[in-house]
Amino acid sequence: MKIGVQTKNVINDDNPKEGFALLKRVGFSCADFSLNGYLNNEALYRGEINSFFDRTVQELEHFFTPHKMGANAAGIEISQMHMPYPNYVPKGAGELNEYLKNVVAPKSMQVCAFLGCPYIVIHGFKLAELLGSEEAEWAATESFLDFLAPMAREMGITICVENLYCGISNHIVEGPCCDAGKAAERIDRMNERYHAEVLGFCFDTGHANLVGIDFENFMARLGHRLKVLHIHDNDGIADLHQIPYTFTRTRENNSSTDWDGFVRGLSRAGYRGTLSFETAPVLTAFPEVLKEEVLRLIASIGGCFAEGRI
Amino acid sequence: MNIICSPAGIMDPVFPGQGVLDMAGAGFENTVLDLTMYCSPGELEDVGKPQTTAWKRKEAAETERKRKVLISEEPAGLSHEIKPFLEKCAESRIEASVAIAPCLKWTTRREELEALLTQLVQESIRVCGQAGIPYLVVQPLFSGVAKGEEWEKNRGYFLELAGYARENGVQILLQNQCRDINGHLNRGICSAPEEAADWIDRLNREAGEERFGFCMDVGTYNLCGQNMREAAVILGRRVKAVILRDCNGRDKSAMLPFTCVNRGRSVTDWLGLIRGLRETGFDGELILHFEDTACAFSPLLRPELMRLAKAAAEYFRWQIGIENFLKKYDSVVLFGAGRMCRNYMKYYGDRYQPLYTCDNNPELWGAEVCGLPVKNPESLKELPENCAILICNIFYREIEQQLREMGVGNPIDYFNDEYM
Repeated sequence: MKIGVQTKNVINDDNPKEGFALLKRVGFSCADFSLNGYLNNEALYRGEINSFFDRTVQELEHFFTPHKMGANAAGIEISQMHMPYPNYVPKGAGELNEYLKNVVAPKSMQVCAFLGCPYIVIHGFKLAELLGSEEAEWAATESFLDFLAPMAREMGITICVENLYCGISNHIVEGPCCDAGKAAERIDRMNERYHAEVLGFCFDTGHANLVGIDFENFMARLGHRLKVLHIHDNDGIADLHQIPYTFTRTRENNSSTDWDGFVRGLSRAGYRGTLSFETAPVLTAFPEVLKEEVLRLIASIGGCFAEGRI
Repeated sequence: MNIICSPAGIMDPVFPGQGVLDMAGAGFENTVLDLTMYCSPGELEDVGKPQTTAWKRKEAAETERKRKVLISEEPAGLSHEIKPFLEKCAESRIEASVAIAPCLKWTTRREELEALLTQLVQESIRVCGQAGIPYLVVQPLFSGVAKGEEWEKNRGYFLELAGYARENGVQILLQNQCRDINGHLNRGICSAPEEAADWIDRLNREAGEERFGFCMDVGTYNLCGQNMREAAVILGRRVKAVILRDCNGRDKSAMLPFTCVNRGRSVTDWLGLIRGLRETGFDGELILHFEDTACAFSPLLRPELMRLAKAAAEYFRWQIGIENFLKKYDSVVLFGAGRMCRNYMKYYGDRYQPLYTCDNNPELWGAEVCGLPVKNPESLKELPENCAILICNIFYREIEQQLREMGVGNPIDYFNDEYM
């Protein structure tokens, strides 16, 4: 299995080549392109949006050409991408949501194709509370996916939905796509409808840990539909995006996250894709001089997962 | 829907009088026979371990003083131990409607207690039979059960219990569990509603009758951030009991509903729970479990706390069965032409069509909201006798006072859309 990490906090727009070279040097062969970094999610929830995606597709391709070349030069494969999120702001202005759907999402797909990336991860709409049920929430997400699916089929891209969380007064509860059985059925249904693998799943270990999901059973249930991963750790309370094995809760000092279950889940799902880490906050938390060592440690953990050494 | 008060934190199992009086004083008519109060998870954890520490010595001394037997050593003593509680309940006309069997800690490392647990649960079933308690909540076997073997292991366990349950006229309720991962509580056996529904259906099929049902523990769902609306809908009629227990989503505590809050909002997804139970027409046992809150309050304040608890439970019953009160009236008018009025029309307007609505804002008189004419409240003086006024505005009491002062004699009720 290949090992990857998100580009956020590693790849700088002014010299992407250097960042990709660093990734290669410390042991990664893949990158999860953080396109979401160009549209701040907190700003979107406030109803604010920057002009990054006002660029034409040609301008975007021009902007990301150094990134593409840098990755190629370093031998790093852009194995997955994160679309800016949210794709829909509940109770947001109609104009904003139209822009997210009709401008940001299609252009993200174009950038994904330009970078030769086979998977793009999206966030399902968080509408269960507003609409009254998870089914109604999924219907809204599905409508968005139906909008993108023809493009995905044409470009050979698989859109991946990931398990998310919601917050109730600082308490994290499950959000969209936290039911593996339903996710599997929905993915199959959509792919049958489009006669192509337009939809897959991204399992996010950190989000799953926050809501106590059984990693092994969840991944096993997804099986071949599991296409990409967001690997990161937390204390079970907040979405901290830390390095696996960071947290313990008992005097025995064993990890309070079920990494054994994760590795068994990889095996039971028959997963052969990239072990991709979503641990960007770690890179700014540690002193800059330790960045390379931190990345090396992350890559090493990926190596252990790949070999089933836990 | 039965409102049931758990005695945990309220009642001393050896001296149950005051706790039972407090429950009765607040108007509770039903309680739980919580057998974990007579044989606690802590006691089971210590089975066979030498009592060496000072704390253990103290506990042993307490045991002697109260002449309490260790149920883990003498399961047959259970029926004797619970007598004082049941007698006090009978005196206060409180009925035990649900029992909870002794169970292990989620964090236990004890893997060799299956035989003892089986014996304890069998004894619990017998006790339920004697006391006429129809439901017994039984924890599935989990400690030492290998991943993937949970069903097979528990299938045998529960089917063996089914025979005893049949003889004693008891229905066994499975319950959603947590799984401890080095101090972090994750979803355990029967936490996935599909799995729980499947287990119950298979057990009932094999038992040849409806011998098994489900008890939703809200606190446990909350610990795992689960979608309770989905759980309730998927489990549907299998849900015979619901334990209303608030917690902060991190620690296994039992607080009074609506007390665990942050930034002015409850951290528990009561909205999802109420939506789900309402959708499935839940009409079972509603168990209020607030042990930690009760323990934290002074015994001097306990009667007041109990009254609040009763009111909270009544509120849940009302919200879940909100349609029941709408059915009571031949015809209704609404008071209020705002959001709550629109929500009434959205959810119930078709089935319980109001004659009109009224509002104190004169600018709205003559207008329409969701097809309803908005009138001057003075119109209410001309209502037919049996027509009820539903106040669709959060200033319930003030509006009710206004209407009574106007001389309106019709029934007045409150509508609420907080949990629509």
